[in-house]
Amino acid sequence: MAEIAEPKLKQRPIVRLGIFLISHSLFVSIVCFTAGVLALLLLPVLAKNTYISENALMPGSANNMLSSHDTSVANKLVKDLTDLKLRSRGSEFDSQKLIAQYMFDLGAEVTHHKFYPQSNQFHPLHFFTSPDSGNIGKNISCSSLGINTVGIIRAPRGDGKEAIVLVTPYNSMKVGVEEAFSLGIAYSVFSLLTRATWLAKDIIWLVADSQYGEYSAVAAWLTEYQAPTFSRAHIVNSETCRESNIVYKHGQKPNAEEKLYDGFRRAGTMAAALVIKVAKQSDYFEDTVNIYAEASNGQMPNLDLINIVNYLAVHKQGLQIKVSKMWSLLNYRWLYTLGVVFESLGQIARSLNPQWKFGIPATEYVEGTATLASSLYYQGLGVPTGPHGAFRDYQVDAITLEISSKVPLTKMARRNEFLIRGGKLIEGVVRSVNNLLEKFHQSFFLYLLTSPSKFVSVGVYMISFALLVAPLPIVAAYLHVEASDFGSIQPKEKSASQASSASKMNVNFDSWKWLKSARKVFAFHLWGGVVSVLPYFISQMPNLTAKTSFIVWILLSVFSLLVSYMISGPSFSEAAASQSQKKEWASLKSVTISAAFIGLSLTSVINFATAEIGALLIVPICLMARPLKLDIKASNLISLMRITSNLVLGFIGFPPATYFLLKGVFEGYSGINVGDFWEWLESLWAWNSATYLYIGLVHLPCWALCIHILFHHC
Amino acid sequence: MLLLLCLGNIGNSVAHLSSSSESTLHTNNWAVLVCTSRFWFNYRHMANTLSLYRTVKRLGIPDERIILMLADDMACNARNKYPAQVFNNENHKLNLYGDNVEVDYRGYEVTVENFLRVLTGRHEAAVPRSKRLLSDEGSHILLYMTGHGGDEFLKFQDSEELQSHDLADAVKQMKEKRRFKELLIMVDTCQASTLFSQLHSPGVLAIGSSMKGENSYSHHLDPDVGVSVVDRFTYYTLAFFEKLNMYDNASLSSFFNSFNPNLLMSTAYYRMDLYQRRLEEVPVTNFFGSVMETLHTDSAYKSHRSIDIGEAKIKKRTDQSISGSDRRILRNMNNKDQVSNLSTEENSQDSFGQLWNSVLSKVTTTENVDEFVCHGLLLMLSLLVASTWLSH
Repeated sequence: MAEIAEPKLKQRPIVRLGIFLISHSLFVSIVCFTAGVLALLLLPVLAKNTYISENALMPGSANNMLSSHDTSVANKLVKDLTDLKLRSRGSEFDSQKLIAQYMFDLGAEVTHHKFYPQSNQFHPLHFFTSPDSGNIGKNISCSSLGINTVGIIRAPRGDGKEAIVLVTPYNSMKVGVEEAFSLGIAYSVFSLLTRATWLAKDIIWLVADSQYGEYSAVAAWLTEYQAPTFSRAHIVNSETCRESNIVYKHGQKPNAEEKLYDGFRRAGTMAAALVIKVAKQSDYFEDTVNIYAEASNGQMPNLDLINIVNYLAVHKQGLQIKVSKMWSLLNYRWLYTLGVVFESLGQIARSLNPQWKFGIPATEYVEGTATLASSLYYQGLGVPTGPHGAFRDYQVDAITLEISSKVPLTKMARRNEFLIRGGKLIEGVVRSVNNLLEKFHQSFFLYLLTSPSKFVSVGVYMISFALLVAPLPIVAAYLHVEASDFGSIQPKEKSASQASSASKMNVNFDSWKWLKSARKVFAFHLWGGVVSVLPYFISQMPNLTAKTSFIVWILLSVFSLLVSYMISGPSFSEAAASQSQKKEWASLKSVTISAAFIGLSLTSVINFATAEIGALLIVPICLMARPLKLDIKASNLISLMRITSNLVLGFIGFPPATYFLLKGVFEGYSGINVGDFWEWLESLWAWNSATYLYIGLVHLPCWALCIHILFHHC
Repeated sequence: MLLLLCLGNIGNSVAHLSSSSESTLHTNNWAVLVCTSRFWFNYRHMANTLSLYRTVKRLGIPDERIILMLADDMACNARNKYPAQVFNNENHKLNLYGDNVEVDYRGYEVTVENFLRVLTGRHEAAVPRSKRLLSDEGSHILLYMTGHGGDEFLKFQDSEELQSHDLADAVKQMKEKRRFKELLIMVDTCQASTLFSQLHSPGVLAIGSSMKGENSYSHHLDPDVGVSVVDRFTYYTLAFFEKLNMYDNASLSSFFNSFNPNLLMSTAYYRMDLYQRRLEEVPVTNFFGSVMETLHTDSAYKSHRSIDIGEAKIKKRTDQSISGSDRRILRNMNNKDQVSNLSTEENSQDSFGQLWNSVLSKVTTTENVDEFVCHGLLLMLSLLVASTWLSH
């Protein structure tokens, strides 16, 4: 410190503040980290009520026009579809034909879109690129052809530049009552919209063939819509797949056959998309709507879209809105106690100043936390929670609405009411989006939900992350100074004027010593990269179960780590030799922490939730790591505590351990299988999740470096 | 000769009277109606403006003296359930966008620049007369504006704004250029009163829908069209005018007092300090209609001149009227409608029929007894002279 503070000219306040922070790094890091965790726990309290930010939307300002006529035709479609299933003698494309015919009878433009399902193949080079650039044409048989049915209503006086998309996933192989009902709801709205004079945007109804997955069907259609590849269409229409082409035989539906256009039809740019699903009977005593909004890498649709659905469902249709929750969190006593504490704090605050609106009821707090945790988890996971995720890749705001009825749908009397309720909700949303003049832009894109009508915006939740990572650069700087100081202990004892040129040389040399540590850190990160590419080669190997793949992967990783140790071996032995480099671990830790800081900051830009969760796991071990040898030598209470906490944190920080621990906590330890982690990771890379990259390139190397420091021989 | 002299004297005295009371006479009415906001959800602003357009037309301002500026076309918006129709009430009884709507500035033509050009009359040469405010120093102008406003500004389209000092500047220029005699500015926006704070020109009367810090609200939503169709201030303005016709004598003060802050959900604000006349004496039709104190002149030709020449010419004109003999040729065309009450300058009548007519008119206007007696005496004198001459 003496060297820094010494220069004659007075330093600027910011420099002095920096020096102050660095010299008190222990205190600062404890305060910041605790504050960060506390801020995260406070988020449900700080959540604001949602409001419709875009003036143009005006949800619910118009009367619903959906009539019993629309629902009765929809009911007929539902009945026809279920009958078709019962008869089951027709070909697999009968239902598509039926839907197309129904659409056609309404006066819509109908086309079939044929596609080959995209298997989600991991390819290390395909992160963040269009999924379509993968290998097509390999292993495609005619039997694996999917057929989407698309109906388009042109807005009678619109300019045809914009469109609203309704999506109903539908498996022609096994039509459930629920799927038939989702088609029924969409059809009733579609039927109404063909008569509407107020449409300004075209309406596209996509019946996605979900026999190879809902997402891939929607994604295939979207790819064709947004970025057509002309060669592919040729393949699909080739003679080899004749039997799977929809041929209207015997002239049974002459209208549809003649008019059906076999090219790809488009409308304008998509303003919004709604995926409509019907779930099995709900557990509540009301009709409920589940909203799924998370798309890939934690991207969310504009909050306004959720707001209008929430507003219309609650205030107009009397439906209950749900967003996903971590149910197990609801049972935690400590969370409830925390809620009570916050509540009483809020009451105290209010008694001091009635203006302060702070604090929510404890039960609400627990609910909010459970929703927030789920929101964080699904955003952090980076895997879309439904077919709406495909739209987000093209910057289209989309959500999935899963409507469930309070009574079984087989009951005839309830059918019409259910259809009319669902239909009116969709109609209201469509009419509201129809009023939109530009893209959704007014409300938030970066937010976490704590309930369907409460949110935490980016400005608030950033704080907790910033507090979590703030100690990292400070501690890194502190350690760097300390490591440099060690070499120049002699000059420090002399007075400053006596500092010889030789010692200055020494200082200069020491100040570059961190490069050695940086080389090591870089090697570890390189190893992390190798580890994250390994699954690609493992997955190429045939006939491997998840368990064996996992074990193979671990073995290969350890092997590669050993290899990298060998290669960089000389530096390790060298390190042990010199007396002046005894504090080499400090320098290494400094660089490790810097790398973790950079990695976390970069991740927070790509996927905030990942960075937040990652910071919670990696920051403590990064800050605490200290060679066990030193603590064992000291062998007092503090060092003992430090040893245990270091070991515990080191264990928690190991990604598979984290995964199994969290899974155990939230879902119970009974059903845990070693292969689960492999499958989980497989899903991550299959969805091109940046979380995978974070784990491989940031989290794992930093964790390994911390463990390396723990077992450092100094 | 004697007769001529006598009548001439009377004429002179009357001319003196009128010029001393007010330099110019109210000669015509203009209306500038501006809807400044676009987008479908601002439907009500267009409906406001069109409702007022309909009202002033009904009360007698002709289309060529109305400058109608509409920033967007709701009637043809694809979202409009009733194509080519605009309503200001959910009962849909009245289509405001019928056959006889002449929009002078539409869509993106409605800009602050064009608005100021209309007010100040500084147009490019190519702008047709129908798009110009061709008012003169005798004009009463109604300026109605609606849209989204704030503290001392009014938003135009979605991109620019008119500030209160812009408006005050334009009004000042108008005054300098003698483009109006009296101007009524009526604004229906949030914080409308702030828009008047910079006005200094005499003869300006201003009324706004809300005070500083207040919002102006829409009156009701039409669930069929799916938008709010009219603003409160305009709605109650229309409610006031619907009861009136061209011949009603409701005063401006009764109009101003008709606004109920509870119904309006804001406080209507009047600025009257620049206005000379007492509001109780000014009929609303002075601005919203085209009813003015008509000045009966014997000759159409003369009255045209008076408009063209302008200020303080009345005295000169009456002088000419005595001496000029050419104007008598046209005289006959003018003696049918003698409704006016100020027309005491029918002078230099030499035919008996003309004289009798003028006497009749004077009988109907009994306000000036002295004049009546004077004329009666003159008549008797002339009869006496004639009879004595005949009896000779």
